[in-house]
Amino acid sequence: MKRYDTIVIGGGHNGLIAAAYLARGGRKTLVLERRPVLGGAAVTEEVFPGFKYSVFSYVVSLLRPEIIRDLELPRHGLQILPLESTVTPLENGDYLAAWADPDETRRELCRHSPHDADAAVLFGRLMHHMAMAVKPILGMVPPDPASLAPSDLRSLLRLGGHFRSLGATRFHALHKLMTMSSADYLDEWFDFDPLKATKSASGIIGTFLGPRSPGSAYVLLHHYMGEIDGAFRAWGFQKGGTGAISDSIANAARSFGADVRTGVGVERVLVRDGRATGVALSTGEEIAASVVVSGLDPRRTFMQLVEPKELPGGLVEGVGRYKFRGSSGKVNLALDGLPSFTCMPGEGPHLRGAVSISPSLEYLERAYDDAKYGEFSRQPYMDIVIPSMIDPGMAPPGKHVMSIFVQYAPYHLNGGWTDSKREAFGDTVVKTLARHAPNIESLILHRQVLTPADIERITGLSEGNIFQGELALHQLFFMRPVPRWAKYRTPIRGYWQCGAGTHPGGGIMGGSGRLAALEILKEGGR
Amino acid sequence: MSPSFDAVVIGAGANGLVAAAVLGRAGFRVLLLEREHALGGQGRVIEFAPGFRAAPLATDPGWLPPPVAHGLGLEGLRRVPHDAPVTLVTGSGKCLTLWRDGSRAADAIRKHSDRDAARWRAFTARLGKLAGFLEALYEIPAPDVDLPTGDLLSLLGLARKFRGLGRDDMTEFLRILPISVWELLDDTFENGSLKAAIAPGGVRDLRQGPRSGATGFVLLHYLVGAPAGAVRGRGAWRDGPEAFTRAAESAAKRHRVTIRTGAAVARIQVREEAVAGVVLANGEEIEAKRVLSTADPARTLLGWVDPVWLDPEFLHAAQKIRYRGCTALVLYALDGLPEIPGLASPDALRGVVTLTPSLEALEKAADAAKYGSVSDRPHVEFSVPSMHATGLAPAGKHVLVARAQYAPYRLRDGGTWDEPRRDALADSVTAAIANVVPGFASRVLHRVLWTPGDLEARYGLTEGAATHGETTLDQILFMRPVAGWGRHAMPIRGLYLGGAGTHPGPGILGGPGWLAARRVIADGGNHRRDR
Repeated sequence: MKRYDTIVIGGGHNGLIAAAYLARGGRKTLVLERRPVLGGAAVTEEVFPGFKYSVFSYVVSLLRPEIIRDLELPRHGLQILPLESTVTPLENGDYLAAWADPDETRRELCRHSPHDADAAVLFGRLMHHMAMAVKPILGMVPPDPASLAPSDLRSLLRLGGHFRSLGATRFHALHKLMTMSSADYLDEWFDFDPLKATKSASGIIGTFLGPRSPGSAYVLLHHYMGEIDGAFRAWGFQKGGTGAISDSIANAARSFGADVRTGVGVERVLVRDGRATGVALSTGEEIAASVVVSGLDPRRTFMQLVEPKELPGGLVEGVGRYKFRGSSGKVNLALDGLPSFTCMPGEGPHLRGAVSISPSLEYLERAYDDAKYGEFSRQPYMDIVIPSMIDPGMAPPGKHVMSIFVQYAPYHLNGGWTDSKREAFGDTVVKTLARHAPNIESLILHRQVLTPADIERITGLSEGNIFQGELALHQLFFMRPVPRWAKYRTPIRGYWQCGAGTHPGGGIMGGSGRLAALEILKEGGR
Repeated sequence: MSPSFDAVVIGAGANGLVAAAVLGRAGFRVLLLEREHALGGQGRVIEFAPGFRAAPLATDPGWLPPPVAHGLGLEGLRRVPHDAPVTLVTGSGKCLTLWRDGSRAADAIRKHSDRDAARWRAFTARLGKLAGFLEALYEIPAPDVDLPTGDLLSLLGLARKFRGLGRDDMTEFLRILPISVWELLDDTFENGSLKAAIAPGGVRDLRQGPRSGATGFVLLHYLVGAPAGAVRGRGAWRDGPEAFTRAAESAAKRHRVTIRTGAAVARIQVREEAVAGVVLANGEEIEAKRVLSTADPARTLLGWVDPVWLDPEFLHAAQKIRYRGCTALVLYALDGLPEIPGLASPDALRGVVTLTPSLEALEKAADAAKYGSVSDRPHVEFSVPSMHATGLAPAGKHVLVARAQYAPYRLRDGGTWDEPRRDALADSVTAAIANVVPGFASRVLHRVLWTPGDLEARYGLTEGAATHGETTLDQILFMRPVAGWGRHAMPIRGLYLGGAGTHPGPGILGGPGWLAARRVIADGGNHRRDR
């Protein structure tokens, strides 16, 4: 039986980042990934010959700059190509566009609403300030407000000091952002409904909330973070697909001496006398280690990998009520050519960016209403990109791949997800797209439809939630995943969590993996 | 020439009466102005049909904070707590009464779920404890990040109380505030009827359904001051619905407050960035260096103050306060007590009877309002105030006050509350009640519908919102009425807000008025020099 200091369960980006930091800190580290490919939900797969898909996560912006720096990711293959625009087709045949060039964007917005063009400048400044206000919080281990330990009190005081230092105006603005609905929040700024809808769409991604539900404004900021503070200041594609990001992190981890094994499923974590001693694989093999780190979501970390009876009742109850509620699906298309959008016919720069099917707030809210009652949206919100336009290597010459992120598709569908429901969902997506790009149906060579149930089955993400649990106010910071156990530790000594189910949460951000690894190194591996 | 006053208080509802009395007690010469001919504001009793009276907005009279009661000598007011605070009635004899008595409630719940019955007492105890912490928060000015050092002491007291909740309840408090009442109930209970009986408390006067965030907070907010074991309501006054108004009025008079009714304010005079007095609708001018308004923020700041005196940022924020009245009232004069088959005891009619059978039905009722339409099947709940106060109706007859959500103030595509729409809503409320009270329609002597627009006209409530501003997390505490202006003094020197649109918000008798008056006193200890 081979011996390691640390075993990381799950080769998603957070697991790999944790492993890289641990190996860099001198730990003999092993990463175990169940699937044959690394990356978890950040994978590239050639699902149909010649067509490469970023199967799940498809764009990146949040990856923390300090991680890129510390792990020297560009040297290991990280190469982000910018996503240059967002176009929203409108119901009246017109469009709303945001381009890479701010002046052009301003002129375009002016065409629809001069007021909003002015407001957008101020709004951008505010978002910048908000991102700066949140940045130190994203980089800190959450203190426990119910604890009297000196380290927690110190940390709480520091946090209080941080909020006071923001000044009342920015603190209040942050409070609004944390508590309001994205629709109400944007209503305070803008008039043009499709603009509000397109902006608020980023507030609903990965959550089971509508744009009019309080709490959705925060996710808006979460998605702005990358644009403002991320390494690339915009959304972008990784060359070779999202999986190549995971590969670059894995390469970095290996360069520090970590072992990374794929196709190795972990059955459970071995626990003796309240401390972790290693892992048992699905093959029956056991690997010993004094520290075991789970990159899986809280449900798998606490309810599957260990015996819940090893855990205090409060934690089990807390994990039991932790909300996943996967709400999104994905449709990946292999195309014989390029789609032509009615609002912008033919080829053009808009095909190198995103197309957002979010014509009005009411459209998004009604999409949510369907999901509330257990159906997928009859007219869903969709975020569409054509990666092969930016990275031609993703598809055979002259052909294309299209990635469609779709919301809402509830995990708990009435009657459950079946093959025919999946195809009906795929048909709805294509039909909705065809309203804006009528030639799409004739271009489709292959279609991959992923429901939340598929996402769960393939990646292991519980209920198919792409963030390892909703980014709702009551599941953030010191409450992520459960109060008292938000500092990456678990009640089992030597057993740690490093997935997006811990602070600061989902998206290809890596903050959870990094903070967990730094805590483990600080503890000296106990 | 009018006599001069140190302070003018606008509005003789609970907050205005309390604020005026507190100022009078401190030696201010106070003039209290009321637009109506009767005192009481939302608590006033109105004859809606010959011989039939009710205080329709005060079927739950609200919580009287102990410092207000002690400060004004109102301790003598007595409540009759409901034995049956809430009953879900879904027709065909199916009733679930959530008794205040824990074991009795558990027995009722056990018919639906053993598991839920076993969890009941712990659930109400926890809600009570968390509401108790809100109580402490509601007795002090809203804490804020730029707290003056003098207030740190009260904050430390609050922190001690918070720690006093104990580890589990401390985090539970923080967790519950932002979650939806749907999640809160789902996390605890399995039975749909039980959840449906509790949930409406979380969407009270809110244009949102039970799935919306922070409806957990709203449930807690309206439980502040509720008797142990109750999940709705704080009990009627023993001496009738006007007991509080009468007591507060005599306190105000005791402290030499001058009260004028039928005196509607048209304008608040500002000179050199400071308040100079008020102008009444009849043109009369009254001088005063302090004006404390208990009307809602929109009426006060946008209606009575010349906007030139307000900074654009402040003005913008005041314009963006969300009111969104969405509750309609239907008042019924009945020729007898409504009989509900299956009801364990007529006592249940003293509390709230709620008719929406499931969380999903409640959510669906809210969906329409999101798009500016009236619910086809509104959430209806009612109580029979004449059970407590026999004087409200002729002998043997009764008054039934039904609340219907969701009936939005603003209708989509410029729609108006015309007669067909009014009738349709009133008919759907009648039908909902008739569904559980056989022969109900034939017992109705009179029926009166008040839409949010009617409430606006009758009570001076912007958009018909009894809340004076939705109780969402971004509009409470230091955010109420406007971020950074949560401590009752407004940006114009001498202008104070002390209505439900300020901390601690609606449903708290005199709470905002009391804090606002204390702020006036703290700001102007040298008021006697005004004379």
